[in-house]
Amino acid sequence: MSFREKSAWISLLSMAGIYGLYFWSVIHDGPQSGRFHSGKLLGTIIALVVVEVVLHITVALFAPAEARAPRDERDKLIELRAMRVAYSGLATAVAFACFFGALDPPIVFNTNALLFILVTTEIMRSACLIIQYRRGA
Amino acid sequence: MHAITNEIRRLRFEHGEMTQQQLAEKIHVTRQTVNAIEQGKYSPSLEAAFRIAAVFGVPLESVFHYSKDE
Repeated sequence: MSFREKSAWISLLSMAGIYGLYFWSVIHDGPQSGRFHSGKLLGTIIALVVVEVVLHITVALFAPAEARAPRDERDKLIELRAMRVAYSGLATAVAFACFFGALDPPIVFNTNALLFILVTTEIMRSACLIIQYRRGA
Repeated sequence: MHAITNEIRRLRFEHGEMTQQQLAEKIHVTRQTVNAIEQGKYSPSLEAAFRIAAVFGVPLESVFHYSKDE
């Protein structure tokens, strides 16, 4: 497994795990709690950065040359394809969010819905990277 | 159905059993990319294809073959 693929796995699992805990916590509190969970969100972002940095450094220590190597043409093509798929998902989800936003839901719901869309898009991007690396291109 | 096949594996063998890693370093791509090209899973850019041919000192058509299956 290449360093780029391991990196995609790290991003996918850490995003799904850490943001999964955040959204589970938000749902557990209830959408009508009336306050934005800024403390929880800040903690989530810090946890995500720490976990991703530590895991990437650990993986890079086992293959330093590969980690330092610039992306080649296949890596760039795979990233572009993954970005295209993720952007399509993002655009569709934002369009739905705009539609439901017109129904005037609580602001805390809107904010978390947009955050959920962003997180899902990033997970989708990582998943597309992994699928393409598994297939070969 | 169009297919691009290649002779990279044979050419590596004929050039002192060159490893995928050695070829990858010569054409500035990763070993995984050389493996994907060799297996026909990824078609390289024209520049990378010319680099591969140059490493083996043969014309491009001796490395890559294009076949059109009707």
